[in-house]
Amino acid sequence: MERIFGIDLGTTNSLVAYSDGGTPRVIPDPQTTSPLLPSVVSFPSPSQVVVGASAKALAPHHPLTTISSVKRFMGLGMEHVTAEDREHYVFAEDAQGAVKFRIHDRDYTAPEISALILKALKQRAEAVLGEEVHKVVITVPAYFNDSQRQATRDAGRLAGLEVMRLVNEPTAASLAYGLDKKNQGFIAVYDFGGGTFDISILKLHEGIFEVLATNGDTRLGGDDIDRRIAELLLAQVPAPLRHDPEVISQTTAAAEAAKIRLTENETTSLELHAAGADVGQTLSRRDFEARIADIVERTIVPCQQALKDAGLSASDLDEVVLVGGSTRVPLVRRRVEEFFGRAPHTELNPEEVVALGAAVQAGVLSGGHKDMLLLDVVPLSLGIETVGGVMERIIERNTTIPVTAKQMFTTFVDNQTAVDFHVLQGERELVKDNRSLARFKLRGIAPLPAGMPRIEVTFMIDANGILNVTARDERTGREQSIDVKPSYGLTDEQVEQMLEESFDHAEADVSARLLIEARNDADALLRATRKTLSSAPVEAEERATIDAAIARLEAAMQETDYNRIRELTDELNQATTPLAQRIMDTSIKKALEQKRIEEIVS
Amino acid sequence: MGSIPTSAAKLEGATWPAGVRLSCWQCGTEHAPAFFCPACDAIQPLPEQADHFQVLGLPRQLVIDLEALQQRYYELHRQLHPDLHQTGPQAARQASLRNTAAVNRAYRTLRDPIDRGEYWLALLGEGLGANNNRVPPELAALVFEVQEKLEELREARKSDAATALKDEVSQIRTELAERQDMLLRQLHDNYARWDADGENIATLTRELKELLSALAYLGTLMRDVEKELES
Repeated sequence: MERIFGIDLGTTNSLVAYSDGGTPRVIPDPQTTSPLLPSVVSFPSPSQVVVGASAKALAPHHPLTTISSVKRFMGLGMEHVTAEDREHYVFAEDAQGAVKFRIHDRDYTAPEISALILKALKQRAEAVLGEEVHKVVITVPAYFNDSQRQATRDAGRLAGLEVMRLVNEPTAASLAYGLDKKNQGFIAVYDFGGGTFDISILKLHEGIFEVLATNGDTRLGGDDIDRRIAELLLAQVPAPLRHDPEVISQTTAAAEAAKIRLTENETTSLELHAAGADVGQTLSRRDFEARIADIVERTIVPCQQALKDAGLSASDLDEVVLVGGSTRVPLVRRRVEEFFGRAPHTELNPEEVVALGAAVQAGVLSGGHKDMLLLDVVPLSLGIETVGGVMERIIERNTTIPVTAKQMFTTFVDNQTAVDFHVLQGERELVKDNRSLARFKLRGIAPLPAGMPRIEVTFMIDANGILNVTARDERTGREQSIDVKPSYGLTDEQVEQMLEESFDHAEADVSARLLIEARNDADALLRATRKTLSSAPVEAEERATIDAAIARLEAAMQETDYNRIRELTDELNQATTPLAQRIMDTSIKKALEQKRIEEIVS
Repeated sequence: MGSIPTSAAKLEGATWPAGVRLSCWQCGTEHAPAFFCPACDAIQPLPEQADHFQVLGLPRQLVIDLEALQQRYYELHRQLHPDLHQTGPQAARQASLRNTAAVNRAYRTLRDPIDRGEYWLALLGEGLGANNNRVPPELAALVFEVQEKLEELREARKSDAATALKDEVSQIRTELAERQDMLLRQLHDNYARWDADGENIATLTRELKELLSALAYLGTLMRDVEKELES
């Protein structure tokens, strides 16, 4: 059976993992050996796309053509964009509906950017395992609403992947910890990542995970900590430079590095070396903690709410699991331990734990792990707009999914043939305070006196937490057609359109592949050359020529111009050819005459 | 709602009437409603009109052992959940989705004693209806008293003299909770009498409506009190 892969599509980093005979493993990048792919996409020129570490490296120099933390914008509309966001991104301000970024005069939706990250993970897994990657499980924050889940699924489709299941990140983390092996108990998963905070209360009962309650904040994470510390530096920067995107990028990077050092060290230095702004100071852990205490404290309120919704108190919990890089901050660990009254699990790498769990769930879906099951809940109430701008709830939050609810609709004027309704998600009374999901239009209603038609609309939230709406004329029993207009998402037609357009973008995709291949070939030659140099005698002059060629090639490999890498690979190849020939002469000359050095050595 | 009994002292058992037959989407075998075809074992969609007792395969009784109910719920999920039918044909995936949604809804309704009672009334064709909006007479005085106290507390907040009143309101919350417990015990007693099947159905129905109505009122009151105490 075709293997299903697990993907953690994170705000800060993304990972891909698979189940290796029942054991989940993350797949590291062959170049960097790190399993973390920074969730950063950069467009150095209109025809070039770079994803991951190299994109992150470009960010300070091309802050406005580099998109980080795109996950924060998944399923959001332009009206959710804040003034602060505008300091870090250029948006297509004239766009309606879903957020669009404007890069080199082209507009990109958040799912399109995320698709590029997914494609990079797909390519990585294919390169490492030598098999096609088609079916995946993708994790999402438990708190993601329908639009955000739809957007994630759209991203998968745009990347040419079949998304078999969206799994809540905290649930995945529990799976990774093998807590399903325990017989029963209550688990709190505290997930403090780069851009989101989630708390989930899970109940485990003989291999079945049931999410009892979830809460969180989709815009609270380690990035906030970095920005808070960056403010210290920015305050020392001359005023005109404080809004310079490059300076902001660099100070944020410096702040993040200082934060990481303060996990081990009691004090560290916080420095910025930029043109016109060479500033710095020392920062003690104590001072650091005082400055971020309110951010950490903001995670506690959702914890209290989730416990309350689950009908539990902290002392009822059996396990506390930490997820996300921000849980490495000692203050966060202390606060969590204090609030829940028990030491949290920290055995697994908090940044890998979600991807590992996704791989476990992928194993379940491919039929390899029948004794375990996830029962998720809908994170926010679902309702429809009624008279006076009030939301009428039809599915309460924390209801176990899949779930259906039926609602009867009729007409208000004689011979009306269509009815509009507006679906919302949220906990507030008024429509305007809740999130608009979509507008639906019921069409083809038989013309009858007002109030006579009875159209039964079924709202179904599937196991992925995604809403499906169907309608039936109760009188005729006929299915009624429904037009969906997602408020911040993409219609099926738009996704199709984007898939077609991505052929225009095929050049960029091809470039990415050519770059990877060029780097791999260059890498192989470099390794072979070094091996030969260490064992065979070489003249000083020849050695100098070869060393120079190596240096040039290595420099080019840091860049993204694959033609240049090819050229320099050839150059090194030529430089080492006499050496290769000498080795051949001494041994099996005839048989190997046509071969190149790397083939002889390897 | 399926066959709504009109005269029987008790709802029929949760088995299906002999006449209800389904045809397997995979092999065409006719069978009584069941989650899996007895011939080819393919997952089957339950009939649309299945009630919560039928979905969970439970006898039609109002007194429910919650532990056993939960066991049943997990047991069904272990067979029906969409994750387990993901690689099956479209019809199997659809059936799995529909059945799981029905199981979830049935479980959510039946595990809660108040929701269960309201659902029972609905099965009997007896909604709480407009009666529910009338304050039950024995609660009227209490509701009035609590609302007044809450109003006092809100006023006192403005002048910083709220602490003493907060204690009083906490005391009210305790009393309300005790009252709620008492009503829930009465509700359980009413359920046991339904199940015993010896009493006049009209009396039981009237009593059930009164209890549910009083509980609904207490519930709202409790939420108001808690909101005020938290703020």
